[in-house]
Amino acid sequence: MHNKDNNTEIMLNQIGMVYNSNGKDVTALTNVTLDIQKGEFISLLGPSGCGKTTLLRIIADLLKPTSGEITVGGESPKEARLKRRYGIVFQSPVLYDWRTVRKNIQLPLEIMKVKKSEYDERVESMLDLVGLSKFGDHYPKELSGGMQQRVGIARALAIRPEILLMDEPFSALDEFTREKLHDDLLKIWSKTNKTVVFVTHNISEAVYLSDRVCVLSPHPGRLSAVVDINLPRPRSKEMRSSVEFNQLVTTVRNSFEGV
Amino acid sequence: MKVVKKIFSSKSIVTLAWIIGIMLIWEIAALYIEQIKRTPENVLPHISQIIESIFSDKMVSNNQTALQIVLVNAKDTLLRAGTGFIIGMACGFILALIMELSGIVEKMIFPYLMALQMIPILGMAPIVLAITHDISTSRIVIAAILTFYPVATNTLAGFKAVEREKRELMYSYSASRFDIYIKTLIPSCIPYFFTGLKISAPMAITASILVDTLQGDGGLGCMLSQSLKHAMSIYVFWQIVIFSAVVGILSFYLMGIIEKIVSPHYHKKKAKAGE
Repeated sequence: MHNKDNNTEIMLNQIGMVYNSNGKDVTALTNVTLDIQKGEFISLLGPSGCGKTTLLRIIADLLKPTSGEITVGGESPKEARLKRRYGIVFQSPVLYDWRTVRKNIQLPLEIMKVKKSEYDERVESMLDLVGLSKFGDHYPKELSGGMQQRVGIARALAIRPEILLMDEPFSALDEFTREKLHDDLLKIWSKTNKTVVFVTHNISEAVYLSDRVCVLSPHPGRLSAVVDINLPRPRSKEMRSSVEFNQLVTTVRNSFEGV
Repeated sequence: MKVVKKIFSSKSIVTLAWIIGIMLIWEIAALYIEQIKRTPENVLPHISQIIESIFSDKMVSNNQTALQIVLVNAKDTLLRAGTGFIIGMACGFILALIMELSGIVEKMIFPYLMALQMIPILGMAPIVLAITHDISTSRIVIAAILTFYPVATNTLAGFKAVEREKRELMYSYSASRFDIYIKTLIPSCIPYFFTGLKISAPMAITASILVDTLQGDGGLGCMLSQSLKHAMSIYVFWQIVIFSAVVGILSFYLMGIIEKIVSPHYHKKKAKAGE
């Protein structure tokens, strides 16, 4: 049994995932053991086919692992989901066209049966957090891609989860917007103290954002290294060109096996 | 050059060009028919003759002018088409919902839906009449049956088109099935639902007119066949043709207008709000 200290938010022990595809067993993940600490920013980094999204989906209770054990906030993923312990952000913003930005953020509150009188205050504070106070009454279509994704983040945080799960949230954005959103996300993270699990295939993105980078290698998907990122916080643009940053990028890049 | 390009890309200009084009072809054909037929108005009268007949106060039967006959009977037909349309719309939507709720029901019902759609209206009408024993009811039922299929299939397609992530998002909120439908699935399929309505609105009217021709008891189709059999002025026929074409097109646009009222976000342009 894994040593369980009080500071662990997500505990993965010997997680394995085997799909059955056309009668053949395909191993998506094998033997993943990892403790994610409370308030930690952790990245799951790897090329396609390494099982990083599968791992995120296991944490989110969207998939059941075929072997191993997992706890989220000390409970099973299902219990964690039912208690709305996590908010999720997808690659596409998945906004509701027919709802304004405000109503989009309000959506999970409606489902959670939060009191109507609380809606406005909570939505306003989320809009403020992601810097979209002026755009509450706009429809998603009227916003740029980066702003749409910020609405997605606000919506995920509106349920006041302890954990924020992000599945390649910035991969569809251009480089400039992405870098701006990195800083926005780090600001939001430092204000809210959430545990963030961030899936990406972008090495410098993972290094820039994270406390630790989990390097996943494909065929079969496995955890091949966990790299501590000891860059000081708050992180800044200048750091991206620093020697330390680039050394870490190199370290991470060299941790991949069989790519 | 730019101005010319702008004019030609304008939607109303295109529509106008269309109308003028049709009228031109109509008139050329009418001129030709005039040369070779003894009673050209039975084949293709001039547009001016039809317009003249609309404003003429000549009684054609029962102390009614041609226009009065058209309008009085149009009320019957459109009322039946409208009733059938609303019933068909409701049934189509509910059936799509049931098919979405249960894959087994979808697999069981869908082939029957296809089959129902393949039966010609004229073949279906006597059967429906035999069941309902009332021509007026059977006209409503047939309009409903025709409305039903495009609405059901399009709405179902709308349910299927909901992104996986939206369903997963609702799952992550542990949303109840009711909430999933009310908040996500039903609003998502509204554009598809309206596509169905736009197809079936003119169809309901056409079908209603067609079924009218089978028996008496008033309605545009009745007058249409009487007029064709020379029981009354042939211009009643021509007026009905024009009238039903116009109403059919209007019914299509009416659905578009209702859609815009129901979903105001479609007005919104893809604006560049900037970062």
